[in-house]
Amino acid sequence: MEKLLQPDFGLMFWTIVTFLALVYVLGKFAWGPLLYAIERREHHMREEREGAERAREGAQKIQADLEAKLAGLDAKAREVLADAQKEADALRARHSAEAQREAEQLMAKTRQGLEEEKRRLVGELRREVADLSVAAAEKLMRKTVDADVRKTVLDQFFQDIEKGGGKN
Amino acid sequence: MDFQEILAHHLLDHPIVKLARIGGTTLTLTEHLLMMWIVGAVLIVSLSFAARSETGAGKRLRTAVEAILIYIRDSILEPVFHERTHAYLPYFLTLFFFIFTCNLAGLVPYGATATGNISVTGGLALCTFMLMQFAGIKEQGLLSYLKHIAPSGVPWPVLIILYPIEILGMFVRCIALTIRLFANMISGHIVALSFLSLIFIFGAMSKPVGFMVALPAVVLALFISLLDVLVGLLQAYIFTILTALFVGEAVHPH
Repeated sequence: MEKLLQPDFGLMFWTIVTFLALVYVLGKFAWGPLLYAIERREHHMREEREGAERAREGAQKIQADLEAKLAGLDAKAREVLADAQKEADALRARHSAEAQREAEQLMAKTRQGLEEEKRRLVGELRREVADLSVAAAEKLMRKTVDADVRKTVLDQFFQDIEKGGGKN
Repeated sequence: MDFQEILAHHLLDHPIVKLARIGGTTLTLTEHLLMMWIVGAVLIVSLSFAARSETGAGKRLRTAVEAILIYIRDSILEPVFHERTHAYLPYFLTLFFFIFTCNLAGLVPYGATATGNISVTGGLALCTFMLMQFAGIKEQGLLSYLKHIAPSGVPWPVLIILYPIEILGMFVRCIALTIRLFANMISGHIVALSFLSLIFIFGAMSKPVGFMVALPAVVLALFISLLDVLVGLLQAYIFTILTALFVGEAVHPH
């Protein structure tokens, strides 16, 4: 059994020759094609992954663009809306001012009309009263005062009234 | 019943025919050499076939081989050789598959374990040693390689001691490789044979005891043989990764 640990240099030589020959032959016929296939596959996969990544980046860019555009549109819409609101407010203010003015004008006119009417009525009333007074006074004085005196007195009376009426 | 004779018959190499004689060394075709050639032929045929097939059994073999190939490339060689991995890949792939197949060939009936021969493992370790020198000189240049055998930044008196130790270390590593693979491959066979021999040893004492021992002995021998499959894979892996580490140390100055 001591032969178990005895090196046989002939076999060692053969081992080295066999092994190195195998390295060469397998390298040429097995590892070469296998590695070529593996590397081609890995290259293909890498390319596909890169393509997918590029596509995703493109999509992201488009999405960002769209979002930016959408945000711009949103801002614009808000601006337009604010403008419209402002215009509407201005319009409303103008309208209400105009309406107020018109109402005031109308009121002033009405007041003026009323004033005139009142004055006219007061005048009429005054004349009526004067006539009635004169009639009454005439009735009263017909017997005592002649026409001239009467006339003088009445004229004076009317003048006084006119003066008094101007005050009223 | 000579136990030693049985072991010698199963474990030792047997000459078949003398091929040539160079100096004091005879180049003999032996059983183990024949096994190596058979293993080599099987590897060349099956792997070349697998590398070219797209369907069926060839495709399945190819998938399995590719998985091992990618593992050896990415996990063993890439950390050591980096961008030079591609140049050393065929050597290490062949090393792994050759040792692995040789280990398994011993479990086939009428087969013999070539890697259970110290001359064979010695030859493989010598290849590792040569690759260490070759790769070191090729990647670093001769002068730089010689300079970096010992670690740099050490004062010269220490270097005088360190230089021989480092050179001795190279040989020791390769001798360790030789003995590790040899011992691992032969020990399983010795144990399995011992279990089977128990049957005959007890049978010689009394026949019924021999029959009673037979069943457990066969079961245990079978278990050891199955274990040998695992050990065969493991030792091929260890030889490959250690070779990569040693060559890596020679390639990168420390």
